[in-house]
Order: sequence, then C-alpha cells, then structure tokens
Amino acid sequence: MAKHIMSLTVNGDKSEFAVDDTDTLLDVIRNQLSLTGTKRGCTTGSCGVCTVNNDRGEAMLSCLTLAREWDGESVTTIEGLEADGQLDAIQAAFVEFGAVQCGFCTPGVIMSAKALLNRYPQPTEEQINEGMAGVLCRCTGHIKVKDAIRNDFRLRHDLANQSKNKSDNDAQEFKPEPGFSYTGKK
Amino acid sequence: MKGEVTLDMVGQRRPRIDGPEKVSGRAVFTDDVRLPGMLHGRILRSRHQHAKILKLDTSKAEALPGVHAVVVAEDAKGIYATPNEPTICGDVTRYIGEELAGVAAIDERTAAEALELIEVEYEVLPSVSTIRQALKDDAPQVDEGFPGNIVSTDFDDWGTTEQSFDEADLIFEDKFVSRPTHNLFAEYHVVVADFSRPEKLDIWTPTQTAYLFQHSFAAAFKLSINQVRIVHLHTGGAFSGRGSVRPHHYIAALLSRKARRPVKIFSSGDEEFLICRTLGDNQYKLRTAVNRDGLVKAIDIEAVLDGGGQGHALGYFGWMVGKCMSWIMDLEGLRFARKVVLTNQRPNFLGHGGMMIGTNAGLMQQLQRIAKTLEIDPIDMLLKNAIEKGHIGMSGETFASCGLKECLEKVRDASGWKDKYGKLPKYHGIGVGMGSMAAGARGAFRHDTSAAMVKVGEDGLVTVFTGIPDMGQGTHTTMAMIAAEVLGITDSEISVVAGDTDITPVDVGAFAQRGTIMTGNAVKNAAEDARAQLAKNAAEWLEVDEAELVFHEGKIFVESDPEKNAPFAKVAHSTLHSKEGRYVMGRGFYTTPVDYGTAAWSFGAQVVEVKVDPDTGLVNVLKVWVAHDCGKAINPLAVEGQIDGQIYSAMSQVLYEECETDEGQYLNPSRLEYKMPRTYEMPDVEYIIVETNDPYGPFGAKEVGEGPIVVGGGAIAAAVADAVGSFLPEIPMTPFKVWREIRKNEYREQRKSA
Repeated sequence: MAKHIMSLTVNGDKSEFAVDDTDTLLDVIRNQLSLTGTKRGCTTGSCGVCTVNNDRGEAMLSCLTLAREWDGESVTTIEGLEADGQLDAIQAAFVEFGAVQCGFCTPGVIMSAKALLNRYPQPTEEQINEGMAGVLCRCTGHIKVKDAIRNDFRLRHDLANQSKNKSDNDAQEFKPEPGFSYTGKK
Repeated sequence: MKGEVTLDMVGQRRPRIDGPEKVSGRAVFTDDVRLPGMLHGRILRSRHQHAKILKLDTSKAEALPGVHAVVVAEDAKGIYATPNEPTICGDVTRYIGEELAGVAAIDERTAAEALELIEVEYEVLPSVSTIRQALKDDAPQVDEGFPGNIVSTDFDDWGTTEQSFDEADLIFEDKFVSRPTHNLFAEYHVVVADFSRPEKLDIWTPTQTAYLFQHSFAAAFKLSINQVRIVHLHTGGAFSGRGSVRPHHYIAALLSRKARRPVKIFSSGDEEFLICRTLGDNQYKLRTAVNRDGLVKAIDIEAVLDGGGQGHALGYFGWMVGKCMSWIMDLEGLRFARKVVLTNQRPNFLGHGGMMIGTNAGLMQQLQRIAKTLEIDPIDMLLKNAIEKGHIGMSGETFASCGLKECLEKVRDASGWKDKYGKLPKYHGIGVGMGSMAAGARGAFRHDTSAAMVKVGEDGLVTVFTGIPDMGQGTHTTMAMIAAEVLGITDSEISVVAGDTDITPVDVGAFAQRGTIMTGNAVKNAAEDARAQLAKNAAEWLEVDEAELVFHEGKIFVESDPEKNAPFAKVAHSTLHSKEGRYVMGRGFYTTPVDYGTAAWSFGAQVVEVKVDPDTGLVNVLKVWVAHDCGKAINPLAVEGQIDGQIYSAMSQVLYEECETDEGQYLNPSRLEYKMPRTYEMPDVEYIIVETNDPYGPFGAKEVGEGPIVVGGGAIAAAVADAVGSFLPEIPMTPFKVWREIRKNEYREQRKSA
C-alpha cells in the first residue's frame, strides 16, 4: 500500500511520519508516537476508550478517524493534560472522587469529560449525561464519574487560587448551583 | 506489643494508589506491551455451528511473505482449554467461532491476510441452537461422548424438602429464564506470549488469577510450574470472565514456540463476543413452600443450564443455582437440581454475579408475589425468614457475623418503603431484594491460600508483594491500607508489587470474593511479622520491652510514655546497623479455617424504585437504596465504587444485556447493539454500609465484590414486577417483553370485567 508523509501535532509536539490510506489516528498515536495512554478497544466507535480532543477541544474517536484526514492538524491525548507535572483538575477529580477503577476506559472517559467541560465549565446534569454518553464504563457505572465532573469546577478554582497571590485574587466566588452536590447524593 | 489501639487508615475514604497513573495515561496494559521482534497473531474461527472439517490447507498462508508461523490442531494435540475442549479444533467444530488455526506475522494486517488464504472445507452437520432443541428425542448430537446432549445431571437435597412441601399451606411455582450475556470488560481479550526459549514461557495477559494460569500453562506444555511466568499488568475489568486459560492464550504460546519470537494476539470487536465464556440461556423452575404467616419452609429449584459447545466447567459450579438461598433464609428444606445441556453455541460459564443474579431475580419476584398474595409486607416477610448471626447453615456453615436483618431494616427506613409499597401509582413500582455472598471458596480451586511479603526499606518506605490481581476492584489499595494500618504509617508510604509470578508469592487469585479476606489477612500477617522485627530494633533503641511499643503516625513509641519514641524510618534504617545486619522482611499467609467453602459471608438488602412506560415497556430505574454488610469497610470510597459497578451490572443484566443469536450467529456483537446502561440511564444510589466486624476478616472485613449485584438483580426484578403487576418470566426485561406483559395483564383484566 502506498505510503504518504503527513504531519501531526500531538500535545504540542509536531512530528512527521509515513502512513497509508487505512491507518487511523489511533494507529498513529499508539504505534508511531508510542503514546499508549489512548486505548484500543472495539475499534468500531462504540466503546469510546480511544477518545482524544481536537484543536477546538472537542471529543473525537481516534479509531474512526483516518490519519490522513488529520494531516497538519493538532490533537490532545490524555498525556497532554498534565501541565508542569501537575494533574489537570479533572484528572485530580477522577482520583479524588473514585471515578477510576480498572482504568482502561479512563483515558477515553477523561477526554470526553474534558471536551464537555471545555464547552460547559459548569455543566448541568443533562449536559453531563449527554456529554458522557459516548463512553461505557462497567466498573464505575458512571456514578462517580459524574461526581468527579460535578466537582471539576470547584477543584479547578481551588487549584487556580493556590497558584495565585492571595491579595490579587478577585476571581469569582464558587457558588454551587441548585441541585449541585459534592457527593452525588441529593 | 500493642496493636490496633485506634484505626488510622482502615475506614478512611482513600483514593486509589494507582489513580494518578491511570488518569494520566501512564498505566500499562497488556496491549501496550511491545517486545523486541514481537509478531502479531490472528485466529481462524469456524463459520459453522456444527460441521466436519474435511480439509484445512494452510500452505498458501505459510507462503505469504511476513508470515512466521501457522498452527493447526496437530500442533495443539493434547492441549485442552477445558476438559473436553481442544485448543484448536481438528475434526468436528461445534460452534461458530471455534478455533481452527492460528497465524503469526510481522503485523496484524499480514496475519489477517494470511487467514483469508487458509482453505477450509466443511461438511455441515445438523445442529441445535437452544436447550429445547437439544433435549428433543431425535435431536442432533453436539458431542457423541454425551448422549442426549446432557453433560451432567446433579442435585442436592438438604433437610426435609419433600415433607415440608407436603405440610406447607401454599406452594408457589414459577418458570424463569435468564438469557445469555457477555462480561464485556473495557479491555478486550489480549495476550502476549514469549516462548522463544524452550525452558521458559512468559505470558502477559489480563487475568483474575496468575496462579491458576501458571498451572494450566505448565500442564499444557509439560513444564514445571515455575518455568511459566505470568505477568498481569493493569487488568481492564474481569467480571468473572478472566478466570481460566482460553484457546487464544495457548495459541499465542504455540505460535511463539514455532516462530521463536514473542507473539501478541488482540481480539477484534466482534471476535470478543465469540470468545467470551459467560452465562448462557439458563432456565429455572422455582417452587416455594410457605405457610400463611409468610414462613418460607422449603425451596425446590430445577435448573437447565446451557453449556453451549462445552459445558464441563459449568457443571462444576452448578451448585450456585441454589446453595445461596440457604445463606439468607432459615429453611427446613432445599433441593436444587441442575442439568447442563450442550448446544451448538458459544461455550458458557459464569457471569458477573456467578449465576445467582438470575436465580435471585426469580426468587425475589416470587417472594414479593407470595407476600402480596398473603397480604404481608414483603420486607416483613423477608425479615421473618432472614437468618441471624450464629445461624448454622444447611451444609454445616456457621455464620459468625450477619447483618442481614439490619440491612433490611435500614433500606426499608431509608427508602420510605412503608409510605410507598402498595401506594404508588400504576406502572410505578418498588421492590426489595436480599442476598448473601461467600467470601472465599476453599475446595473449588487447588487450594485457597494467599501469601504476601512486606519489605521495609531503609528509608522507611514499604513494599507489599502480593500475587492478587487488581482488575479495578481496588484490592491493591486495600492491601496498602491494611499494611499501613499495622505499621502505623500511611498508604502513600507503601507501594504494591503485584502481577509477576517470578516475583510475587502464591495467591490463588481474585475470584470467589476472596481478595479482602484471604489476601487481606495474608498481608496483615506479613505486616505484623515486619512490625515484630521492627519492634525488636526499636526496643533496643529505646531500651524498653517490645510489648510496650505502639506503631502510630509514623512513629514507634512507648505507650505509657509517648515522649519516648523513634521515627519509623529511622528504626527501619537502624536495623541494617544492628550487630547482625538485620533487614526487615515480613511474611504471611492465610487460608480460611474451615475445610470447605468459607467462614465469612457478606449480606445485603436493596430497595429499588422504578417507573415503567406502559406504551413502550421501557423501564426507568429511579433510585436504588443499598445496604451492605461488608463486615468492615476498609475503604468506604472503594466499597461505594464496588456497589456502583454492581448496581450498573445488575440493572444491565436484568433490563438490557442479551447476546442475541440466530442459529449460533451473533446478531448484536458490538457495544452499540449489545445494550448496556449509559450515563443518562443510571439511577441515584444511596449507600448504607453496615459493619458487623467479622471475626475472621482482616479488621472485620468480608466482601463487597459480588454481593450487591446478586441483591440488586433481585430487587430490580421485583420492582419491575411490582410496577407491571405480574411475574416477569425472563431477564433481561427488555421493553418488548415488559410491553407484552402489560398488554397480557390488560387483556386479563378486560376479560375479568367483561
């Protein structure tokens, strides 16, 4: 099969490599770039474990995306969320709220959550349900995943405050929305 | 020496020790393993339910550039996945998907291409797809060795079943079916085998038991046990589906031996459905003898279990259909009979919840129906029959701790049951379930031993070595917490090394809910051994008696004089400078004190509220109240997580999950078509953890790994039956089945009023 040279920016790093027409973005990320955090599941777009984010911060299934279509574009994978060795707030929330069990779907679930939070920083229950419907997680039954997402905003706020000087901290106060709870129990 | 004065770690909500690794994408799973020179394997599978293999020609595949090995039945002679299941079928194939050949090539694409080049000629034979067809007099025979398509017929009859049925006021009888399911873990079946040297076989694969895998591989390839090394990295879920070596594991090893290079086999999406070993199409007849006051006297259950193309392993665990009923009710008699039948379907075994979710979904519906008939509140009726601490079971078990009644009372009160039961609007139902689960199963495996080592580093950091896999249940975090508690440090100072049989001590594995109780006790014993070694050094340092020392908050101090203390890390370091150059390594092991089964059972009760759409039959689960007696919640966050996953699976199995087949061909082999709950279908869950402090459990802990799913299955089924107004004879209760039941009931009512 004929090979084509393409370039792709993953987590800010641009690289070039040869692909053929049937290579998917998942193949490139896992095999060419050795970024194995993005998982290979059904490879038919039904389980969501291969979810990555595009440059607009939207979720996309890397197993259903042909690599060549993404020539010159950039994507973020699970490895790209950490900054300065610190977990992103949503990653920290997943650990703290027990939203991780076996962990195989976790990268895909977090990238879906990230896309949801990019769009709605404080999502409603409906937005969470809708935004997270593309991934399946038998271990957690999605229950603590929702907990983590509900708490992302507060954690993000706390993390931002930690790094800011207290005096110039005029960031908005965190006010829970009605129906918003820390434990998932209303 | 004083030990558990107060509990520092145990009982805390602790995040998983492997959480940061998993959320950052650094966690390594088997599919991430790349070895030098690794080849990729694919498996040729039977296209027919039942056929003679007349010819299998692999010459073109072998000639394809890039192909390094092809294996057929001849190469796998004498290797059986289950007692009558050859690893590669050579003569008669008995189900679609049965392994016919394996290919290893430089990449997956070449391997797939090679499969296309293998020429197979079949002579199609008549087949049976269902139990009903299989049991007909003139039915085609799936396996000539098992006339009548019956693999095994067993029954147990305890107590005075026949007499109790004769004496009882009323007898209720229902027929019930549970349809085939799939474990559907997130990480698909995958294996990497390296058998390039004849003296050592290395296997990387997700598993529930490295130990039993090691034994199976050793027997198959005539190696000594420790010539086989099993590595289980992070395991992406198991749900009773990763307990035994399957043909694809052996085929990877065969290919590796032939090619003298490591081989990886990763199953594709639809292949995943063909190779799972889980629940088949099981049928039950359930009879219950009761008195008018609601006392359940005896139960008689007959099960016909669908073994699929092989049913030998299933027959061994057939007792699961009934035995668990004697763990929850004080019965006079219990008879449970089971027959395992062969069909030309995928071989079946146990699923998430053993096979108890099916029987409990039938039993709880029936008990609620009995209560309704007798005009008794169902929870009052369950309370009347529930066992208590100290109860002696029908096969001689002694229940040393039991919170069953407390669980029932707590879910009743939390759910507002008294205000809801019988008072909800039409098509809005509430149901209750109860259940029990054994923590451990001595006698079911080679043995039931878990062993552990605790190494105390000179910097005071501690390493726990265990053979138990963590498939997501959080057992490694539990082990770290147990060791930390004993040593008076925190779980962040502990790392867990697991999953490599070359390194870690024996552990039968993570099934039969034995992790917390067996491995937990082993780790506790090992940590206590390490603590005693440390105490010796600390006593010398502080010039006191060892018996006066307490390990607490990273310090070792004299109980009567807390000012006199030494930091844990310093004592660990000082051991090396002792006269003998001591080094602290604790060891421990544990098995249940009883000869058979276990000494500890978890108990639970749940109330579920549902709404059914009468026009579509769609069931909406509104809320689940869960009370679970896990003995002691070592990590309440993990206990809740286990409950969540089991509510998910219970709901999924009772309402959605079904492998649909047409003449053995899967109709829904993908996660889009095989329905599981998504975010928006999940109910609210309220957790009530009941602690009964079991005398055998580490810090009193029992299990929470499979109890709640069994209870949940019963409660959800009972709630749907309450909403619909009649017994639903089949799980999953998919919209069509519920809709049909509603129409039937309407028709009956119209006839009555006409």
